[in-house]
Amino acid sequence: MGRYDLRPLRVHQTASQLLQTGRIKTPPPWYDVVAAIPPTQASVRTLPIEQHDRKTSGSKAKATKKPSKMFQPQKILYKEDALRRQFFGDHPWELARPRVVLENDGKDGKACDWSRISQPGRRLDGESVVQRQLWLMENVLEISPTEAYDQARHEFYALRYQEDVERRVAKEEALSTGAYFGKTHLEVGMELEDKTWEVWKEWALRESAAQQQKRASAYTGLERESEDANVVNPIDPIVGPELEELAEGEGPPVAS
Amino acid sequence: MILRQLALRQGRRVFIPSASRPWIRFLNTEIERTNITVDNANEANLDYIGSQTDIPIAPIEETGESLVSSSYTMWLNQKKQTAHLGSTLDPHYKPHTLINRPPSPKDVTLELLMASQAHLGHATSLWKPQNQRYIFGIHQGIHIISLDITAAHLRRAAKIVEAVCERGGLVLFVGTREGQDRCVVNAAKLAGGCHLFERWIPGSITNGQQILGRCKMKVVDDLGNEIEGYEEQLIDRATLKPDLVVCMNPLENYVLLHECGLNAIPTIGIIDTDADPTWVTYPIPANDDSLRCVNLIAGVLGRAGEEGQKKRQAAALKAGFTGPSPNRKAGDAS
Repeated sequence: MGRYDLRPLRVHQTASQLLQTGRIKTPPPWYDVVAAIPPTQASVRTLPIEQHDRKTSGSKAKATKKPSKMFQPQKILYKEDALRRQFFGDHPWELARPRVVLENDGKDGKACDWSRISQPGRRLDGESVVQRQLWLMENVLEISPTEAYDQARHEFYALRYQEDVERRVAKEEALSTGAYFGKTHLEVGMELEDKTWEVWKEWALRESAAQQQKRASAYTGLERESEDANVVNPIDPIVGPELEELAEGEGPPVAS
Repeated sequence: MILRQLALRQGRRVFIPSASRPWIRFLNTEIERTNITVDNANEANLDYIGSQTDIPIAPIEETGESLVSSSYTMWLNQKKQTAHLGSTLDPHYKPHTLINRPPSPKDVTLELLMASQAHLGHATSLWKPQNQRYIFGIHQGIHIISLDITAAHLRRAAKIVEAVCERGGLVLFVGTREGQDRCVVNAAKLAGGCHLFERWIPGSITNGQQILGRCKMKVVDDLGNEIEGYEEQLIDRATLKPDLVVCMNPLENYVLLHECGLNAIPTIGIIDTDADPTWVTYPIPANDDSLRCVNLIAGVLGRAGEEGQKKRQAAALKAGFTGPSPNRKAGDAS
């Protein structure tokens, strides 16, 4: 906190001074160790690792020589980044699929052979398409990126279709051997909507009756029959001017 | 205990040779064919499950030791028959090995560090510019820590821990975040040091007499056995301070690290891209938010401490140390 406190880096010097002045009699157990293996240099800027060429001429050249820009870490760029952007731009729902980012020993990628799109022990993913496309671009002669992309994604589609068939057959097998399934999420959603609609209807009936009464009480004295004829049947509150009047009052209650 | 008894009972039933239920049927995974339709599927399922639990008990002919030995022979036979069945798992990540069998400093590779997510820093806007030399680059809006620098610093820290333990120093392993208790306790056990996984009480070093004054102190010999007879001398002795502090989350333990700085105690800490490297003597630039990375680093440093302890004990035995003499009293010159 505050300005630089370099005391942790100077423990050995501090201990030496304490020994010299006689504050401590024997050196601490770590004294020789820290003398032999000193701390590394800290808080010193070094030139960053070059990820891509910095501009040496042109409008941005001056910026690369300014100290504030010279020591900034650079962005790591991969060839696959553009391919990923293209694939996930075309297939946004593939991003919704869960992804496992856990690695086993760090050499997982080396076990993959992208001459085929499906890899044992690895989920079929948008990443498979990207790697397959890259492999085709590097290993097949005179293939354009678009052709490679088309081939990779068609292989991907075939496998996804197979997965869909398996899912459908699995459900049929389960049903035939006695499994029963609960409500689908669409059915649950519809039931919740119906419940909310009933609650709203009750509120709307009460509100429209209240509004009607308010309007009726605004007229002091005789109440003419013709006034009531303008009022819309409260049982059907959607039709007619009731809707605007409902907006003035408090909002409809929400079904919990 | 209950499970074991059940298994034994089951075993006895299983391995008694009886004509009504030959043991080969237990390997048979086919269900008995019955006329199952969608309507009676549920009943058919329940009937099948019910049929499997009612295993008939054959009358026991053998008793005592001969029963045990024949059961054991049958069990060995069964194992031989079924050993080749089942699937073999490829080598994969087992989280408990980082705690139970941690790697040693020479087993640390860049691939291992990457798989443990040690290279993932924080968002680029949250960095400490002092950490610039540890950063490899920027990817997807976060700083990526350079793993060869991490490996080099980790090996350096491991050498420090090993050498301090070899000289009989007291190492304190600190990890106060949730989930860091297991690795910290294990590392302290290996290195023969102390652990802390709850909040550091401010003043435990600077005001140790007050806060830790009631803690018991003991004198141990080179092999770690307590020596009696020093109680009077220990009364006036100041409270112990650690000789080295290893901190897994320096960002939450500034007070501890500041106290160590005031008392000239060297510290080791995992420094993320948003942590200040000058807070510790020996920074290890790595990801302090990943539990896998913290477990790995704590395990490696614990192993290094274990090596140091072994060297120290070996040196003591070589020098002719055989333990304190039985009639030794405190204050005897020996």
